[in-house]
Parts: sequence; C-alpha cells; structure tokens
Amino acid sequence: MTTSIAKIMTKRSALLVAALSVTLFISACKNVPPVTSGVGSDQIAPGQKFSKHLQLHNPKLAKKLHISDIRSRTNNDLLEVNLSLTSTYKKTLQLQYQFTWFDKDGFVLEAGKSPWQPLDLHGMQTATVPGLAPTTTVASFSLYVREVPEEFFKF
Amino acid sequence: MKKLIMITSVALTLTLVAGCTNKSVVRYGDATEVETTDISFGSTDLQKVAGQMTDSLLLSPVVGTLTANSRPIMFVESIKNKTSEHIDTESITDSISTKLLRSGKFRFVDMSRVEAARKQLDYQQNSGMVDTAKAMQFGKQVGAQYMLYGNLASIVKSNKDQTDVYYKFTLRLMDLESGLVEWADETEIRKTKGKEFVSW
Repeated sequence: MTTSIAKIMTKRSALLVAALSVTLFISACKNVPPVTSGVGSDQIAPGQKFSKHLQLHNPKLAKKLHISDIRSRTNNDLLEVNLSLTSTYKKTLQLQYQFTWFDKDGFVLEAGKSPWQPLDLHGMQTATVPGLAPTTTVASFSLYVREVPEEFFKF
Repeated sequence: MKKLIMITSVALTLTLVAGCTNKSVVRYGDATEVETTDISFGSTDLQKVAGQMTDSLLLSPVVGTLTANSRPIMFVESIKNKTSEHIDTESITDSISTKLLRSGKFRFVDMSRVEAARKQLDYQQNSGMVDTAKAMQFGKQVGAQYMLYGNLASIVKSNKDQTDVYYKFTLRLMDLESGLVEWADETEIRKTKGKEFVSW
C-alpha cells in the first residue's frame, strides 16, 4: 500500500516537474525587436564617388548584399538617381530602400515623406532601382537599404 | 512537506504562465515603413503607386517639353476603382497631385471645391459686407489645360494555401483642347499571402 502511494507521488512529482519545465519554456518567449539596420550611404552630390560614402551598418546583410553602383543626373531640372543592388545570396532577399533628399546647404527636404519602397531581390540578382528628387532644389541625396523587418517570438 | 512542494510548484507555474500572457501595447510607428499586415491594398501600395506615377510623369520627355517654359494647369479626374476592394482612390490622386504641385512643374485647379469657391465669391460680391473694390471678381478663373485620369484594377486568385493579388494602376494625361493623350503609364504590384514554416 505504502509502495503504491509512493509510486503515485513519484508519478505526480514527475508530472509536476514536466509541467513546470514546459511552463518555463513557454514563459521564456518574448517579443524580439526586428533588426532595422542596413547598408546605405551618407550625402552624395552628383559627380562624387559613391564608394567613399558607403555605410555598412549591418555586416550580416552586407555579406549578402552590396551596393554595386549609384548614378545620378539631372533630368527635367530634377535630380534622378539610379541605385544598383547586387545580391550575393542564393535566396530571395526581401528588402526596402529609401532616399533622403538635401538642398545645397545640406538641409533635409521633404523630411519623413520619402517612403520606404519594397524590393524583392532574387538569388544572385542585380537590380537597379530609381529615385527622383521631389523638388528642383535638391542638390544631394542619401539612401538606405535594409531587410523588411519581421517581428517574431523567440523561445 | 510534499503538499507544500506541490502547492509551491502550482503557484510557481501559475506565476510563470501569467508572465507570458499577451498585453496590448500602443506605439507610434513609421508611416513610411513597408507595411505587410495583410494582403489588401495598403499604405505601401498607395505610396508606391503615387511615387512611381509621379516620377514617371515628371521624367517623361513630353512633360519636359510641356513644362520647359510654363507650368501647365491640370485637373485630376477621379481614379476608377475596378478592384474587388473598397479603396479610397481620391487618396491616391491627392498624393499624386500634391507631389506634382510640390515639384513646381504643374499647377492645379480643384474641381471638388468649385461650389465652395462660388459661395465665397458670391459672398464677396453680393453680401454687402466686402469692399467691392477689393472683392474677387467672377469670371477670372483660369481653365485647366490637361486632365489626369486613370484606373485601378486587380486580379485576385487563391487556393487553400496561397492568395495572390495583382494590382494594375493606369494613369493618363489628356490635352483637353485637342483630346490627345499626351502621356500614359502603368504600374503593377503583386502581393502573395501564404503559409511559411517557422523554426527556432
């Protein structure tokens, strides 16, 4: 009789320990803030070498993606930019890019109005994306590319 | 003793479970961020469509010629929504006309405010409250030379695992005097929603 009670208790204890472990496992879940750093450039004026202005804030992304060319010209009095991105990764990268525009004194124009544009870059693909200055007073620009952030739960 | 251990374990379990419950949090977000909440027409689509159409119009050689020595006057006719969704197409035309106006290349007349303008002129002219020498005159408005108009269409396909939406936005610029379409362009958006395996 005593032995059977002891057995039941042992089973119960084992169950409790199991339940506790599961709970601990679940309770360790938390919202992980998405990675929002990427690669980009500081202010570039037409005619300047883009390679001297590159910023690689996210080394992990920089291994999979590199900015292969940035060209600019004036078209209909507006500064037009072409950004070439090359993937060195075999899978599709879900990216977003944004241009920021500055006047001749380096002041930002249309702050917060330049939207992030989505771009799917397939494996090993090179894509050229355009940007057009919103006004004729734009003298320089900067750009930034990052992955589309996905919020996920980490256990 | 065993009872105590059991009670402690249960209490600990409850505390830990409660520690993992969802709680609602309010945060300010970036309005220009790529938004992928669901597959329907969203803010990123609106910004993409408006941005691409404006850029295309401003870069076209025809518009370069039209705007070389003057700022042509335009009016925006509504964008027809031919999709299966309810989409506020006026919001798209608002974004496009604002971008074009801010580019300094075009001027606009707003046909949606004609009645309000008429009321104001009527008040200035006939109410007896405004100095007639300083009142704005009827019949001095400038007519639009060009009309912007377009369509937004969609094709939706789905099976049990995946939904695919394709949007096509077409915009045209018509010379109101000659009736000629001076410029046209279209932009496409494809969005898919499917199941993905999540691993950790």
